[in-house]
Amino acid sequence: MSWGDALSWLLRLLLSPQVFAPLIFPGLLTALVVLLTVIWAERKIAARVQMRVGPLYVTRRLGGVLQMLADGTRYMFQEFIIPATADRLPFLFAPVLALTLAIVPFAFIPAAPGFSPIKSPYSLPAALAAISAVPLSVLLMGWSSNNKFAIQGAVREAFMGLAYEAVVFISALSMGVLYGTLDLEEAVSRQWLPGLLLNPVAAFAFFVGMVMSAGKLPFDIVEGEQEIVAGPYVEYSGIIFGIGMGLAYLKLYSLSLIYTLLFLSGWEPVVAPLYSLYPGLGGVLLFAKAYLLMLFIVFLRSVYGRYRLDQALRAGWRIYLPLSLISLLISILLRVVGVV
Amino acid sequence: MSKPVSSFKLHLRAVATGLKYLLFPNRITVYYPEEYVEPPEGYRGLIRYYPERCIQCGLCAMICPASAMKMYRTKTDRKGRPGVNYQRCIFCGFCVDICPQNALEMTKVHDVAYESLNELVVPPERFSQEPVSPAVAGGARRLKTVFDEERGLRHELA
Repeated sequence: MSWGDALSWLLRLLLSPQVFAPLIFPGLLTALVVLLTVIWAERKIAARVQMRVGPLYVTRRLGGVLQMLADGTRYMFQEFIIPATADRLPFLFAPVLALTLAIVPFAFIPAAPGFSPIKSPYSLPAALAAISAVPLSVLLMGWSSNNKFAIQGAVREAFMGLAYEAVVFISALSMGVLYGTLDLEEAVSRQWLPGLLLNPVAAFAFFVGMVMSAGKLPFDIVEGEQEIVAGPYVEYSGIIFGIGMGLAYLKLYSLSLIYTLLFLSGWEPVVAPLYSLYPGLGGVLLFAKAYLLMLFIVFLRSVYGRYRLDQALRAGWRIYLPLSLISLLISILLRVVGVV
Repeated sequence: MSKPVSSFKLHLRAVATGLKYLLFPNRITVYYPEEYVEPPEGYRGLIRYYPERCIQCGLCAMICPASAMKMYRTKTDRKGRPGVNYQRCIFCGFCVDICPQNALEMTKVHDVAYESLNELVVPPERFSQEPVSPAVAGGARRLKTVFDEERGLRHELA
């Protein structure tokens, strides 16, 4: 095999949906860029609302957009300390597991029509299942840290996980009932009207569940910076702490992609010239919608204070669980009437 | 939380208020080292000493409630001249008020940093020099705050 053949083979491999989608777009590489820019945007938005300037001095002309890159670089070269009392193997293994589980959903999320890495009739529950497995590794982090704050954070994560997971799953499944499919790609093609208008109750319940799941304000109870100083991540330093911090944003990113697919009619309308250039690029609108959604969620930080654990749990079980069940009923009703 | 339906309206209002501030920001801070907000008249900043007016009465050291002001005596000058210890000074301005000769004056300079604690002790020789704001020395644009009926505080070039 000559060099040219090898190169073309490599290019073909890279451009196949199975590699391109999880690794480049909308997967790992894009997720990294999203991570860096969304954290910056979060700080900038909060600064604007709070009458400040926000991060500025790194690349001043661009408004400090590379601030997160600088912070990340600092994390890279920071000493990684393993506490003597920590359970060494799980302590190291848990963050890696968490990051892996946070990336797995990208294997099921289609980027464009006919462009999903794993074409499965159950891609919606599969992606959600991978996301909902992340709290397990956070539990492991907290437990293996052998620190009271870490364990408190882990227990909070367990409580919160139970509260929001049911809401997210039921409201997502109600959309599955409405569209008559659990395939994300088909769900988009069934939306003659955006799902947000078809079943607004499900959209609202999923939205709140998503904010809870990603641990954004007003539900950043697990991290609890003020009283349990970053919770499960308290003993971590260096790049692993960076992973812990990025984990929430990765979850938020994959969940907002799913939200866009389910409720905001995904990549419709497809940008035809980009799609004909390369199918993977047809999902540009999907990405734009998901990004705007993420910006709105990080904007909530500047509006809300944090709920107490019991308040959030009460909201989860008493308000949003019934709401998601109502959304299921609405979906069944719409299905019987034959709207979709 | 107890009234989810009626509080929903309040949530919407809170988000709308946040959006208002996001779209029409009302920044009250300035880019500090490049811009410098001139403090108003009567601002109690660092103290300046005029040795030529001083009659060395020592009232300033006597009135100082924080014992920050002290008379520094030398072999030739038995009555002493005032120096200040900014570790102790509470910027009350009693020394300035009590001085019969107006030999002490409060300047508007306040944004000064010191590298060691010893530098905070200012003997009479340094006390008689004009204190300099590092931002102004670095060529910062001077701004002044103006009260605006619509917006609240606004900054204008001084």
